[in-house]
Amino acid sequence: MDTFILILITGVGLGALYFLIASGLSLIYGLMGVLNFAHGSFLTVGAFVGFWVASKMGFETSMPEFILAMIVGGLAAGLFALLIEQLLITRLYDRHIDQALVTVGVSLVVGAVLGGWFGNDLRMFPTPSWFLTAIDVGGAKIPADRAVYIVTAVLLLIANWALLKFTRIGLIIRAGVENRNMVNALGINVRRAFSTVFFLGGFAAGVGGVLVSVYSNGVSPLIAGTYLIYGFIVVVIGGMGSVPGSFLAAMMIGIIRQFANYYATGLGDFVVVILLAVVLLIRPQGLLGKVRA
Amino acid sequence: MLRWKYSRPLLTIFIALLALAPVLGSNPLSRPGLQQTMAVAFIWGGLALTYDLLFGFTGLLSFGHALYFATGVYVTCILINHEIVSWWLASLISIAVSALLAFIVGSASLRTSGITFAMVTLAFGEAGHVILERNFFNLTGGENGIALNADLIPSFWISVVNTKYIYWTALAVLVFTYAVIWWVTESSAGRVFAALRDNELRVQVLGLNTQRFKLLAFVISAALAALLGDVMLLAAGSAAPRFADAGVTISLLLMVVLGGAVTRWGAVIGGIFYSIATTRMQDLTQQDSFKTIPKWIGGPISEPAFILGLLFIFVVMFAPGGLSGAYYRLRLKAITKKSQ
Repeated sequence: MDTFILILITGVGLGALYFLIASGLSLIYGLMGVLNFAHGSFLTVGAFVGFWVASKMGFETSMPEFILAMIVGGLAAGLFALLIEQLLITRLYDRHIDQALVTVGVSLVVGAVLGGWFGNDLRMFPTPSWFLTAIDVGGAKIPADRAVYIVTAVLLLIANWALLKFTRIGLIIRAGVENRNMVNALGINVRRAFSTVFFLGGFAAGVGGVLVSVYSNGVSPLIAGTYLIYGFIVVVIGGMGSVPGSFLAAMMIGIIRQFANYYATGLGDFVVVILLAVVLLIRPQGLLGKVRA
Repeated sequence: MLRWKYSRPLLTIFIALLALAPVLGSNPLSRPGLQQTMAVAFIWGGLALTYDLLFGFTGLLSFGHALYFATGVYVTCILINHEIVSWWLASLISIAVSALLAFIVGSASLRTSGITFAMVTLAFGEAGHVILERNFFNLTGGENGIALNADLIPSFWISVVNTKYIYWTALAVLVFTYAVIWWVTESSAGRVFAALRDNELRVQVLGLNTQRFKLLAFVISAALAALLGDVMLLAAGSAAPRFADAGVTISLLLMVVLGGAVTRWGAVIGGIFYSIATTRMQDLTQQDSFKTIPKWIGGPISEPAFILGLLFIFVVMFAPGGLSGAYYRLRLKAITKKSQ
């Protein structure tokens, strides 16, 4: 039973990391139709800036210091995302394939710059010492950092939901995902919603970057690799443009992957892809996605 | 119209020169080192061409093309190392396996289109990569890959003195790939591919099964990619998971976009240029004069991805059509000037 709980909670923790990446990808795709390959570089930028802040504090950080590193990392990634959007994406208005290509270029350049500056070796991320302790949940010993991932993801999900539900810009974003041309025709400037979504997506990815570097025991320009791909899978399974769908799918995939890996070593990734194929065959628009006209 | 009337005879002479170079007295191409570099470059040129069939001609943005290339490399290597069949039969089988795999994966992923298709092919491609890295049944050698057992392939491909045979093989396979893609894209099926890219709805209205034509393009390009993988196995001497990496497909995309899609020769030039550039750039950055450049700028420059990535962004933003697109624009200008 305790093994079961351990795997379950570790899976949820992993799912939380996937969600931090997928939420931005999903909104960016849903609103603008942009397949954002640069999202992995947002994550890396956030991880490195967060690392820079945290390492100013020494080999260990207190919890407020760690939260500060996470927020600064998120803000840096958000601003970087905004820069990319303003500089490159807006100029390729509605040329979706070219937009995807440009973001591929961005991810290459960012990877090369960070690799050239810092090398590709892992650098230890300074964390609060209690991250290494275990929490007792129903007899199972859960590594404490998992709880941080889950709490962060849930907080961001709530913040995301509140923003989309109760603010004017949130209303515009939701309307834009539904029918962008109509929003434009009503004389509302959708461009500002684009920028907001890029900033928010970048922020979530940057926060995710800090957490991913804790999870993978360090920072390097290569940490984003598999997370971006899992982010894409989560977005497809959850449904494009649906943040709750991304959350659901991220948790599902995190849990399924952990269980498959426990009972059949190495099969986790394989099972996830099978799941993807099944969802595509039965429900091509994803779990909570709407059918596009 | 836009074709220069001397281009075909000149191209034939050029290919003949490339083919004869290793045995024509003393020239750079009589050195095994450059023969090896060029053989690899030819393979990438051919692979970029198979990607152009998908991305340029049919409008399918696949991010999983590396899977079929790697299938060629791995299936052949495994069949030979276990002494199951000869090299010739092994490569034929690998092509068939790749085509079958493309048929299965294509059937599922072509239910989506556009950007979703890109994501789905990426996921399948990465799944393949992961499986190769996992070393199931001790077949794929995990992260280290497997070395090709040189005793079991025809002897003229072995040893450094014989690098010219690998060079010739790569050149021949590139020409063959070019011929097949030329034939496919100029055939009536090729016209449907182009129509699918430009306006899928219209093709549907005309009563054609769009799904079947897309699948055809997907399978043809996968089969050719496996053939090029067979040659890569000879040139590299081993099968490694890096051949299945998503980075491979992204490189192919770069090659096609830099060289220019839909012109065939653009993709080939793009692939050859990219392959040579990435190997040569690493040599350049090893030199002492390079060390004088401050690290904050020298570090990124020493990564080929930096310059290629910037170039790529520039081409997408400001020079769509890449190299061959720019060439045809110049030709068009020259022709209209002449006719005035």
